[in-house]
Amino acid sequence: MLLLFKEIKAIHKWRELLWQMIGREVKARYKQSILGYFWVILNPLAQMLVMSFAFSIIMRIPTNSAGNIPYSIFLFVALLPWNLFANSLSSAAGSLINGLITKIYFPRTIMVISTIMAKIVDFLFASIILIIYMVIYHIPININILWIFPIFFIQQIFTIGLSLFFAAANLLYRDIQYLLSMILLLWMYVTPVIFPADLVPERYRFVFQLNPMAVIINAYRQVILAGGPPKYSSLIIAAVLSLTVLILGLKYFKSREKIFADNI
Amino acid sequence: MKEEIVIKFDHVRKQFNKLNHKTFKEFLPALIRGEKTVESFTALNNISFEIKKGETVGIIGPNGSGKSTILKLIAGVMWPTSGKVKVVGKISPLIELGAGMHPELTGSENIYLNGAILGLSQKEIKQCYNSIIDFAEIKEFIDQPIKHYSSGMYMRLAFAIAIHTHPEILIVDEILAVGDNAFQKKCFDYMEQLKKSEDVTIVFVSHSLGQVEKFCTRVIYINDHKIQYDGTTTEAIQKYSTDSENRNQ
Repeated sequence: MLLLFKEIKAIHKWRELLWQMIGREVKARYKQSILGYFWVILNPLAQMLVMSFAFSIIMRIPTNSAGNIPYSIFLFVALLPWNLFANSLSSAAGSLINGLITKIYFPRTIMVISTIMAKIVDFLFASIILIIYMVIYHIPININILWIFPIFFIQQIFTIGLSLFFAAANLLYRDIQYLLSMILLLWMYVTPVIFPADLVPERYRFVFQLNPMAVIINAYRQVILAGGPPKYSSLIIAAVLSLTVLILGLKYFKSREKIFADNI
Repeated sequence: MKEEIVIKFDHVRKQFNKLNHKTFKEFLPALIRGEKTVESFTALNNISFEIKKGETVGIIGPNGSGKSTILKLIAGVMWPTSGKVKVVGKISPLIELGAGMHPELTGSENIYLNGAILGLSQKEIKQCYNSIIDFAEIKEFIDQPIKHYSSGMYMRLAFAIAIHTHPEILIVDEILAVGDNAFQKKCFDYMEQLKKSEDVTIVFVSHSLGQVEKFCTRVIYINDHKIQYDGTTTEAIQKYSTDSENRNQ
């Protein structure tokens, strides 16, 4: 815990660098292609259309007990935060392999966090489609939608914790990032992204309880599509797990930090 | 007046652990077979020295003797395996100019980015923004992406940003080997000014003994990962030259 507060203080001191690093990623990508941010929106849109076709028309996965929600929206509400999680982790894993680390001192965690923040910017752009979609289909929302903020916060705690671990490990063994992409592929199927959680037999559902991403994805659906509050007990377990992951991830990162520059 | 020590190396040893297996896929089987997975290499062996405020110290020695490792320890990007490194004051490492600059961004955007990496606040950068551009002589190109810059323009911009951080300790590594004569002269003129102010400590690494002789007031000569000589410039250079000749025979 103490380690966490110290790190937050250090990052706060260097916050201007953090903004610059985020700006660097975002601006550089925007300038590289004429279409710029169009890709950030097009990519998840195409993914959603293909998956909707495959899973709702061919495989006929039912959406929820609510029933009247189109599968594409049901999918998109989960796919956007899942993509954010997966993209953040895989970019963060490679974020330390960067010449800067042998040249200048600044808190190393900034490299990981700025990478994740840049992905959040992408996520916000992609979310525009979801909002348009919901307006078109007249999906009603209510005050419970405000829950997305604490849920999003828990998701980021979890993402940063894992990212710190994978970034530090990947610096020692460069193939960790390939292992990570395999883990993410499998992980998506133990998380109810493309199917509703209640499609899974009762006796296997405990897996979802222990998987913070499952809890988070379910909670997004609950507050955005069903308009009800999330399941508090699950959310608290997810929050505690995420915080534990963050502290352990930071601990590992800090224990390796002193030899980062030796391994570039 | 008591002279202030700004850099202190106390019995510093730096050892690199070279991984024999660069990937996790190779590492796991090797671990199971009980093979040695790590090999260590000593880059610096029991190095001790002190540098006082306002000194201009050159570090010379053949390739691979550990010069760059010393600079990285001073810059705080590496930690010693044993011993202590103490550095007091704000450092501007010219170890590699333009660290973190992005080719797609404009000169102006890169001033803010690189400035932040060097530890400047937005406000401080705004204050010296014009002065940076003047020193770098790139006024008409400032809004172009730096991928269109010539390497000379790139160097001038990077050097201009680095010196505007008002460092208390300036670490200069080989950088002046690139850039044309006019640029080199400008840099040296600037550093001569810093030298006179006596508030700035300069650590200077170069293979050009001529530059070292002209510029430094004290020289540390390193070979075989140890300090061979620490003292006057002429004597250090003489020792280094004799050693190199002996080696070549």
